[in-house]
Amino acid sequence: MATIGCKDFPNYLERWMEGDRHPDALAHVRDCPRCRSLVEDLKMIQAAAQDWGRAESEPPAHLWNSLRAQLAQEGLIHQQSKRRGWFPGWFPALPRPALAGAYLAAVIAVAFGLSGPVNQRINRARWLEGTQSSTTPLRAQFASAEMNATPPSVPDSNPTVTASLHNNLAIVDNYIALCEKSVSEEPENELARDYLFDAYHQKADLLAQLSERGGYGR
Amino acid sequence: MSTTHFVSGTWNWKAVGLLATGLLLCVAPASAHRLEKHFTVEPRAVITIHNPNGKIIVKAWTKHEVMVIANHVSDKVEVDAEQTGNRVDLRTQQLADSVAPDDLRADYDVSVPEDAELQIHDDSGEVSVANGLGDMNVETVSAGVALEDAAGYLTIKTVGGSFQCVRCAGRLEVSSISGSFRLLDLRSYHVRAQTSTGNILFDGEFLPNGIYRLKNYSGVIEVRFSPGDSFDLNATSLKGPVNNEAKLTPPAHPQHFSSKFGYALGTFNAGRAKVELTSFDGTINIRKRN
Repeated sequence: MATIGCKDFPNYLERWMEGDRHPDALAHVRDCPRCRSLVEDLKMIQAAAQDWGRAESEPPAHLWNSLRAQLAQEGLIHQQSKRRGWFPGWFPALPRPALAGAYLAAVIAVAFGLSGPVNQRINRARWLEGTQSSTTPLRAQFASAEMNATPPSVPDSNPTVTASLHNNLAIVDNYIALCEKSVSEEPENELARDYLFDAYHQKADLLAQLSERGGYGR
Repeated sequence: MSTTHFVSGTWNWKAVGLLATGLLLCVAPASAHRLEKHFTVEPRAVITIHNPNGKIIVKAWTKHEVMVIANHVSDKVEVDAEQTGNRVDLRTQQLADSVAPDDLRADYDVSVPEDAELQIHDDSGEVSVANGLGDMNVETVSAGVALEDAAGYLTIKTVGGSFQCVRCAGRLEVSSISGSFRLLDLRSYHVRAQTSTGNILFDGEFLPNGIYRLKNYSGVIEVRFSPGDSFDLNATSLKGPVNNEAKLTPPAHPQHFSSKFGYALGTFNAGRAKVELTSFDGTINIRKRN
């Protein structure tokens, strides 16, 4: 029987990702599908981040700083002055500016994944506030990513593919709008929040692909 | 049919010969650049294929050899096929800055050992893989992907391309934004399929201890079951209907659902497999197999 709940699990999460599995956390993950799913998602992101990092270097330090500050501000992690945790271990590995979307995906995964269980017992207004505080900076980062991207220097060799990416981006944008509406109507609805998270994740992925192709703004 | 008409008409053999020559001249540029290469490999070789546009057909065979036949029309691209250790890399290289979409096209016909690992990237066109037992990763934008008799750890990701898997086994993870999926005669113990606006059809076996997670945003998710299947079902559509033909035993601890939800929750037979179907505003159908 688990002795900790979803609310406490984030306190164990950083060590968990470093391989230090506390028995209480182990028991909780065994019993709680949501936290188990969160751990699986984080592991996937960790693995993907390490893969991306094999070829190049130079992480966007500001991204880690803002993410960590945001999580600390929300009380989801504690600031630790000199200890090097698992997040920095990922982000030095994250390389290509072209994969800005992928960085965002990691941010989103953590912000959404952690905010769910922690906020479960809070009232509706707090749910909404929690969701907005998670999504507002993300929206800003998406907008920035789209605005800062440079147009292609060479003609697009496969406009059909670029058009397909843009069409799907429009689908995802619509999907985000509908999910946001749903979340604002029912902020405590976890399924709606999951869909919103998925939509942001997909948008990040598409932006990364468009960025690699130099296909923004068309 | 035109062929029948041609044979039974008044043409003589000379005319046929001239026409055949003409046809050959017309057809010849279509395979203007043909590459055929053979590579001997060790067990569990890795084959990578990177092609921006075109058809990729991969078939597994019992030889420890990779055979590549690649065709492309334009001389603004070339096909590179190289072996590094136990890895064979196939890539369509763009030789000019400005290349028309049709010039980018290259078609591959590749034979690989059964246990080879495949990594395929094809933006547009189509990808078809048959009989592979090794792990496989396929990424496309608009290209459709068709697998047959594949096993191993299969990871498929498309943006708008459709996906079909017939008689696949092992572990399957497929994601898309607008692509639809058809998973037929599956024998996979782990299936995770997610698309936003596409439909998902699952018509396969629910193996004991298997996990089957199908999720979309809109569109239809349809799952077919047999009377002898055994699974725990959790089907939820946030704003759409769930049509269930399975007679389920309700869970011991009923869960609260908002009245807006369409849902079906419970155990069918012994509940050996776990089936999770989730949609935002799509329809979920759980149908008895005919």
